[in-house]
Amino acid sequence: MDYSELYILDGAMGTMLQAAGLPLGELPETWNLSHAEAVTAIHRQYVRAGSRVLYTNTFGANRHKLSRSGVSAAAVCRAGVRCARAAGTGQTLVALDIGPIGRMMEPLGDLSFEEAYETFAEMVEAGKDAGADLIVIETMSDLGETRAAVLAAKEHSDLPIWVTMTFEAGGRSFVGVTVPSMALTLSGLGVDAIGFNCSLGPAELLDLLAELRRWTDLPLIVKPNAGLPDPATGAYNVSAEEFAAAMRRAPALGAVMLGGCCGTTPDYIRALCRAVEGLRPASAAGNGCRGVCCAAHAVPLNGVRVIGERINPTGKPRFQQALREGDIDYIVARAVEQQESGADILDINVGLPGLDESALMRRVVKAVQAAVDLPLQIDSSDPAAIEAGLRACHGRAIVNSVNGRREVLERVLPLCKKYGAAVVGLCMDENGIPKTAEGRAAIARRILDAALANGLAREDVIIDCLTLTVSAEQDQAAETLSALRTVRKELGVHTTLGVSNISFGLPARETITAAFLTQALGAGLDLPILNPNTRAVMDAVAACRVLSGEDAGCDAYIRRFAATGNNAAEKHETPDMTIAQSVMRGLGAETAALTAKALQTMSELDVVNELLIPALDAVGERYERQELFLPQLINAANAACAGFELVKQSIARRGGGSVSKGKILLATVHGDIHDIGKNIVRVVLDNYGYTVIDLGRDVPAETVVSAALREKVGLVGLSALMTTTVGSMAETIAALRQSGYTGKIMVGGAVLTESYAAQIGADYYARDAKAGADIAKQVLG
Amino acid sequence: MEARLSHIDRGEVLRYLGYRGERVGAAAEEDLARCEALLMQTARPRLVWKLFEHSADYSLNGCAYRPGGEDIRLLLRDSAHVVLLAATLGTEVEQLIRRTAAKSMADAVILDAAGSAAIENVCDNFCADLERELAPCYLTERFSPGYGDMPLSDQRPFFDALSVSRRIGVTLTESCLMIPQKSVTALIGVSDKPQPRRGRGCASCPRADDCVFRKGGKSCGLF
Repeated sequence: MDYSELYILDGAMGTMLQAAGLPLGELPETWNLSHAEAVTAIHRQYVRAGSRVLYTNTFGANRHKLSRSGVSAAAVCRAGVRCARAAGTGQTLVALDIGPIGRMMEPLGDLSFEEAYETFAEMVEAGKDAGADLIVIETMSDLGETRAAVLAAKEHSDLPIWVTMTFEAGGRSFVGVTVPSMALTLSGLGVDAIGFNCSLGPAELLDLLAELRRWTDLPLIVKPNAGLPDPATGAYNVSAEEFAAAMRRAPALGAVMLGGCCGTTPDYIRALCRAVEGLRPASAAGNGCRGVCCAAHAVPLNGVRVIGERINPTGKPRFQQALREGDIDYIVARAVEQQESGADILDINVGLPGLDESALMRRVVKAVQAAVDLPLQIDSSDPAAIEAGLRACHGRAIVNSVNGRREVLERVLPLCKKYGAAVVGLCMDENGIPKTAEGRAAIARRILDAALANGLAREDVIIDCLTLTVSAEQDQAAETLSALRTVRKELGVHTTLGVSNISFGLPARETITAAFLTQALGAGLDLPILNPNTRAVMDAVAACRVLSGEDAGCDAYIRRFAATGNNAAEKHETPDMTIAQSVMRGLGAETAALTAKALQTMSELDVVNELLIPALDAVGERYERQELFLPQLINAANAACAGFELVKQSIARRGGGSVSKGKILLATVHGDIHDIGKNIVRVVLDNYGYTVIDLGRDVPAETVVSAALREKVGLVGLSALMTTTVGSMAETIAALRQSGYTGKIMVGGAVLTESYAAQIGADYYARDAKAGADIAKQVLG
Repeated sequence: MEARLSHIDRGEVLRYLGYRGERVGAAAEEDLARCEALLMQTARPRLVWKLFEHSADYSLNGCAYRPGGEDIRLLLRDSAHVVLLAATLGTEVEQLIRRTAAKSMADAVILDAAGSAAIENVCDNFCADLERELAPCYLTERFSPGYGDMPLSDQRPFFDALSVSRRIGVTLTESCLMIPQKSVTALIGVSDKPQPRRGRGCASCPRADDCVFRKGGKSCGLF
């Protein structure tokens, strides 16, 4: 399509249908079948007003919204295309309109990426069959849902894809997506045009469009509302003339596609046509800041950006144990910790022999992006795991890595192109790591050429000249730095290095690592991979940002040292109290220090049974006596958790078994999303030393049953908050009993009672978390 | 009318936390104050409302949604107009509570309780503003799908009638629960006669049988 001229889009469909008699709240899309003439008549009015692109009346024509209508999404979509086609002239383009599904995506909601993808794919297939000219994805708030729609459109058609999202005046969508994140992600995915629609009037939306222009060189789309509706009359407060006058500014901002959303009518489009007649869209060449992002936060690649390396099992027995046991919370805690230490990007590596790397990658990427707002680097040598990670990642990621081997380049680079990821290229090939700087630079050149040939941009290639251990190959540190300088200067690409490796085998590792990092940053390294929890190394990064001028006014540096100036407080002296006291007061660090001391003289099991559990029991008794209230009980449990973590580490270090007191399965039943009560129970049980398998919320009965049998648990705990979901709890219990599950079942939740729990077949009713722990003790010991 | 969050009621937060008269203590007071402040700072309250004429056959003008059940008919008996309201603290609060839960469940529980108190405050402020805007008039109590005999499934047509998802970003799960969770939908009758406050009392509470407050001779104050 030629984007050098303006495309006039249409105005609101819903507003017009209501004027034609559609009752408020009835699904407008069903009219494609029941009132096709009325829909076509509206399209025809827009064509007469000057619309060149018609959006089909299929905004909500998805299987979820239509589930109660008795008609299929495919039939409504096909009819929608027909209605628009019937109104068009030879020049009219018919755009299959795809709106949000109407459910919140994971992790906040219950809609999975995969389900969203299938729902959109059905619409795309139908629209393509019916002869749509392009696909418009609009009114999106969630970048994950938008990605699902874009991928469905790309994988089920070859039609052009236009995408508009809905933002509030503050520059974020309802779920927190920022303008740069939207631009980077969608430009990366290779859509044809992006922009905004709905939510705001033209003046406010055009301000956002100016921000969008800074982050992309794609043609821009703007389809504002006619202002805001009056709650009493439903009338919008921006007139057709005001609307059109405001929109005159749009082409100069790079808008190519102009139309109207809620409240606009053919009069608005007619006025718009007159207002922009003779205008041409400003050229976008040279725009588009590059960077990586997650949905809520973008990181431009124009300075030193720290990639945190801690999510990686290599050489970390405790991390390996967490991966084997599916203890995702432990991995998420590593992500949070690195974010707090100042990482800009997180590397995710979950490769461990014997485990399904693709499935783990998907799970960990989802969990990490739910917990932190940082872009991700998908780290694997398995293309299937890389693709699983890229698909799950709701932003623009980096792939770590390719190398100079042709078959690797051929398999991985197309994935980077498809998902719009940047890529790390390691300076090695089938012959190993070249010993000379020239040899490494030659491989870098090959990788860059292959990346460019696959459609990646130079700015999206990140070369790793490879850090070798200086104690083993002392001359190689200089070669790495020399290669780095060459690559930076001659190829003009970004560079990365896993710097920690330099100091392996030496005492005072931090000193060597920090010195090497400083030299490497001086040689042009901009994306160091390191452990951000290491103070000296992050201090070096902070200092280098001052010296390079990136930290303007030394502000960040001053803040860093003002905040942590008093180092004395960081010393971990054993506090002068007992574990019982530190747990009672909810003091985690103190409990950890006391536990560490106790582990010097006692076995792990004794520490658990003689110190930590009795401490928790004492807290529980005071809670029962109403001397403590809920947050205090939880704080105490958390403090004990700090002690348990040390015990687990101690066992993992010597490769020993578990001190678990038994396995408990927890789930909030199908249909219910209120899981805070279940989460409290999890924390408390965890800290009593039980292994808790938490299936989450909205969990179908069959998932509970299969997990209970597979994990051979002795106790299942179910929660439900709503009267409407207690039925689903009863079904889950029945399914467990029928399956041959022989353990016990406890239930809890606001609307349950002792007698009702018995009536639906539960063995125990847990009034609160403390009662849950008492039941666990009774059942499992 | 703007969504306004002006205040979080400490007593209400404590009630949501299942507070039964324990000594709260300085450390816990501090936690409560810190979490309430964090919640006030994070919340981005939003609301959408629409005024409908209410006919004798209980239909709302121009609207496919017809509120179901005897309770709402009783409530709206004297009301010639009905306001549909949807309000939320936004996904910002939902995210805050979920992320805090990963670090400190104690804080998450307090934030959850503070969020419940906060969304009530937003609704109270709206009703005060509405009463001023439509004066002279008397508002009924707020009534939500899922209360009394109004089925929770009424949420769906209610949502469609106000375009709740599009206007303020609240969505429904398949079982008609709202996400973000700190959200409220309500019908409010607008009458020219004073409207009774119907204290629904413990009898209408599903936990009346084993209520920890009632056992202690107290009431949670919510019903």
